[in-house]
Amino acid sequence: MTETAIEAAALSKRFGRRRGPALDGCTFRLPAGRVCAVVGPNGAGKSTLLSLAAGLLRPTDGTITVLGQTPAAARERLAYVAQDKPLHPQLTVADTLRLGRELNPRRWDDRVAERIVAEGDLAPDAKIRTLSGGQRTRVALALALGKRPELLLLDEPMADLDPLARHQLMATLMADAAEHGTTVVMSSHVVAELDGACDHLLLLGAGRVRLAGPLDDLLAAHKLVTGRADASLAPHTVVESRTTGRQLTALVRPDGPLGDGWQTTAPTLEELVLAHLRAPEAPALRLDTPQEAAV
Amino acid sequence: MTAVTLETSTAATPTRGPRGLLWTMLRLHRSALWFWVMLVAVGAGALLWAYGPGADAAWAEFRKAGCDAVSPGGLTCDMGAGAAYGRYDAAIALGSGVLALAPFLTAAWAGAALIGRELESGTAQLAWTQSVSPARWLAAKLAVPAALLVSGTLVLTLVHRMVFSVDGALRLTGGSRAWYQGATFEANGTLATAYALLGLTVGVLAGLLQRRALAALGTAVVGLAILAAALGALRPYLWPVETLTDKNEYPEFIGMVVGEGALTSTGARVPDPICVDNAKCLAEHDIVGFYRDYHPASHFWPLQLVETGIVLAVAALAVLLAFRLLNRRTGAAA
Repeated sequence: MTETAIEAAALSKRFGRRRGPALDGCTFRLPAGRVCAVVGPNGAGKSTLLSLAAGLLRPTDGTITVLGQTPAAARERLAYVAQDKPLHPQLTVADTLRLGRELNPRRWDDRVAERIVAEGDLAPDAKIRTLSGGQRTRVALALALGKRPELLLLDEPMADLDPLARHQLMATLMADAAEHGTTVVMSSHVVAELDGACDHLLLLGAGRVRLAGPLDDLLAAHKLVTGRADASLAPHTVVESRTTGRQLTALVRPDGPLGDGWQTTAPTLEELVLAHLRAPEAPALRLDTPQEAAV
Repeated sequence: MTAVTLETSTAATPTRGPRGLLWTMLRLHRSALWFWVMLVAVGAGALLWAYGPGADAAWAEFRKAGCDAVSPGGLTCDMGAGAAYGRYDAAIALGSGVLALAPFLTAAWAGAALIGRELESGTAQLAWTQSVSPARWLAAKLAVPAALLVSGTLVLTLVHRMVFSVDGALRLTGGSRAWYQGATFEANGTLATAYALLGLTVGVLAGLLQRRALAALGTAVVGLAILAAALGALRPYLWPVETLTDKNEYPEFIGMVVGEGALTSTGARVPDPICVDNAKCLAEHDIVGFYRDYHPASHFWPLQLVETGIVLAVAALAVLLAFRLLNRRTGAAA
């Protein structure tokens, strides 16, 4: 049996009547224990989706369940780090961690939080307002992990970090998640940041789900093909194709074996994501519903 | 594994929750708390000084001028206030001034620092993703300052009443601070506390509406000023007035005067044609007497309590709207 971390059905969110929807009928399912990347261009609805999962916003339409409960009921079991890492500037690092302990009396683990802070060489009595962006990110992550969440929602977590700190924090995060079976959902528009860390992908575009499913399955469902420009790729689904001279390069979802005239390679995560971002009209693909797939 | 954690999270009672929120509130708003303590101390100190050495000095000054000899009921010297009396009056004005200012300071602080800034910077969302629901967060934001405001304003009100109860004779000299005058009226009863609470709730509502510190500060102060002006204008009509009439001249000017004018032979109330003693003019206008509507000092508590009730009802409405607004936005019932 696989537990479900997040399940969304026809989830929509609109900010004001005149603006278009930030999320538009999203349906997807994220199994527990995964490290999921939420990818998409700016304004695709990544932050909105994470806020809805954290119970900070109310959906305009549709439903979202988190750990089998409503986001509000699952509040204790999830942690969320917003994009701009809000913290109280007048508190010290130690007081910020104390705040986590006071507000999460039944879950808080001092050792986890203090270790993450100590790894960054942060003085406990330093005021938050004196910290750099990267140091604030570290404190915000310490606050989130100290809660011992079952689901960790991170909105652009590594944007302010230098490559070394990013590598180190990502390793801490992944080790912690692996040790405790935490589900991690991480949004980013830097695909390279996520490669190697994630095993599940949710690609959003214009508020809709473009790709959803285990990363390996999604990669296996696509082929990067090269062949003659006048050859036909029917009946396969072409996500994106480019012609250079007489040669055609395309990302396709093969429907059966490809013909002999094609050279095929497996796409990387970056190639898969970029091809979908360049071709917003390509059909969506969801591989996260085992029940439906079996039918 | 998941089933076990689920059980513990629903079975355990949130015993430390309120204590954690209390610590958070006091730690986050430590400077505001100290400022309020200082303000109450300054106000109470000024009033206590006036009660003791301030009043003694003022009396000594009047005695030296021979002003206390005329009658036991009051000082009839027309010399105006001396320096000692001026200091005495200023100290009392400071005490009641703190009470008059408190609602506006509270509204500005609640709109900007308590709510607006937290929503603007995202620290409110930080709290809501700990084990604290938005509703409990808002409840703590209201309850902790409310408790401190009630204690502080009650201390000042009691000290002010103590001073007011013994300084009748001194007051007559200055001709100031009658029981019904704005700051004095509020500082002597339950209204100072009620208005402070109104300031808090209006500020919180403004913060939730604006979601930005500076805009919330403006909205809160302007909103409270409008409410206070409207309620202040209503004040004389919150309890039935008493009327004095006289055939020849205006009745004695006592208490809070609400209305006055001339009476015709049919008993109708008309604006005074200002005939003074001109009998022909009076006959022409059919004026047979004069009236004056007023509240005697015995109306102090009825007026005070009715207005307090209205102010608290408005504050409760603001609280209700604040919870509704927060709930609609976050969709968090729990």
